[in-house]
Amino acid sequence: MNHTPTLVETEVLSLERPFRFESGDILPRIDIAYETYGRLNEQGDNAVLVEHALSGDAHAAFYHEGDRKPGWWDCMIGPGKAFDTDRYFVICSNVIGGCRGTSGPASIDPATGRPYGLTFPPLSVRDMVEVQRILLRHLGVDRLKCIAGGSMGGMQALQFFCDYPFQFESFICIASSMKHSAQQIAFNEVGRRAIMADPRWNNGNYYDGVPPEGGLSVARMIGHITYLSEKMMQEKFGRLKKDKESRAIFRPSFEVEHYLDYQGVSFVKRFDANSYLYITNAIDNFDLKTSLSSRDRFRGEGRQRGAHLDDMRGKRGLVISFSSDWLYPPSQSKEIVQLFSAFNVRVSYTEIATEHGHDAFLTDYARPSEIIQGFLSSLA
Amino acid sequence: MYKIPAQNYPIIQEWVAHGSRVLDLGCGDGSLLKTLAGTRQVEGIGVEISHEMILKCISKGLCVYQADIDKDLSEWDDGSFDYVVLNATLQVITRPYRVIEEMLRVGRFAIISISNFGYARNRLRVLAQGRVSSSARLSGGWHDTPVLRYVSLREFMSSIREIGVEIMDARYFFPLDIVSDTRWPLYNLLAKEGIFRLRRA
Repeated sequence: MNHTPTLVETEVLSLERPFRFESGDILPRIDIAYETYGRLNEQGDNAVLVEHALSGDAHAAFYHEGDRKPGWWDCMIGPGKAFDTDRYFVICSNVIGGCRGTSGPASIDPATGRPYGLTFPPLSVRDMVEVQRILLRHLGVDRLKCIAGGSMGGMQALQFFCDYPFQFESFICIASSMKHSAQQIAFNEVGRRAIMADPRWNNGNYYDGVPPEGGLSVARMIGHITYLSEKMMQEKFGRLKKDKESRAIFRPSFEVEHYLDYQGVSFVKRFDANSYLYITNAIDNFDLKTSLSSRDRFRGEGRQRGAHLDDMRGKRGLVISFSSDWLYPPSQSKEIVQLFSAFNVRVSYTEIATEHGHDAFLTDYARPSEIIQGFLSSLA
Repeated sequence: MYKIPAQNYPIIQEWVAHGSRVLDLGCGDGSLLKTLAGTRQVEGIGVEISHEMILKCISKGLCVYQADIDKDLSEWDDGSFDYVVLNATLQVITRPYRVIEEMLRVGRFAIISISNFGYARNRLRVLAQGRVSSSARLSGGWHDTPVLRYVSLREFMSSIREIGVEIMDARYFFPLDIVSDTRWPLYNLLAKEGIFRLRRA
């Protein structure tokens, strides 16, 4: 065990020029928060771009000074781990629309001197990708060994890989989907409604006062129910009660209630309610196949529609699902495999047997790590 | 885990055309696909159920798909492959006819190898000792062998004709490493294994 944890810091790239969203809306300037681990080699061919999920951020691995917990994917990133920082230069950035250093609805609009709130432009997964392209140019990385992500991170990985296949040798997509099902949209909508029903939300103008913590924590609680499998919840909590003596009615008493309460309360400390609305809306509207055939503003009118898809031929892909994940079920991962096989990408697929539901992509690292190490090592 | 008979590789290589698309069902550690990629420049995909084997395939840079071949072939379109290979795996399958039909739906040709339960040694075991031989079971006892299907070459050949499958080519493996492409007299007694190239009749 390493007793002196490796410390890292989130850096911020301030882009002092306009960024145009897929919607056509423009922000005059943006910040991009990111972290990097390991070193870019001389040939510049060992970079791996890691994409975070809904509630993640740029802090993917190692420790921030004074923190007791490492980054969100520390089990996968580090020396000797799946994304071996002795071999690869790993990059992770916070998504646009987020609230962890990259510009989002809580950022200050230079025109008004006040937070954007709902005047922040509508967001797409493609916007997330384009912002990361700016970061890659800044870092001097134009070819990457791999782009990898789980859940919403998988969506970004797929979109990025499809839009700019010549930049990547491979992709890894974990517990994700090419498009949300009605059920996935429904869960997100209940989360959004919980936020908007909180009077403190105030149409997104709450930055001067108390944020809609009640609504946001309910949204997070719903999320956490969908991240766990029924079996795991039963095993972990069952009908255990924390405080058997308490006579207060309608206070959390079951262990599972305390668990959800804790998840909700700790989430509101680090997450912005408007970001939650924007990002869940972006992933609900994500539809990879349709996005590939529709007009793509970012890559100019001159580019022949769909021609870049041929660049995917012979590239490698790895799709991983988890058997008990009912939020992003294995069937959605198989659809991804079918699509990319049709693009002549050499895709492999594996379904990890686990009881941990969707959360497995953050917690079940042993088997995915072996597979990812084998996959990355086998790349040319 | 049962062993993948590499003795079939030269024959499979002979049958598989250069640059064709190959689906290898029950591909194990991917050694056949790796061989075919090297000598035949095939575009190969393996299907495997075991995590350990999937890991070996991916580490070799192969394209592999974790699935149960008894259930999951329906995801491939008709005619997606030139050859679909089932090497030493037929006997562990629950619904062999369904799998053979699926093989000839997603591929133009199928290559299937089987071990011959009618082989003299197997018959002797049953007759003399009243035991199903361990070689017929590949590994394990009656309760845990992966082998579900005990079939002789003759039975296999006549029954697949009945479901409209034509045998284009065959090789029979006799003791002393003798391989023949003709059906010798008493082949069903003397051959240990057989491998067949099939198509829809």
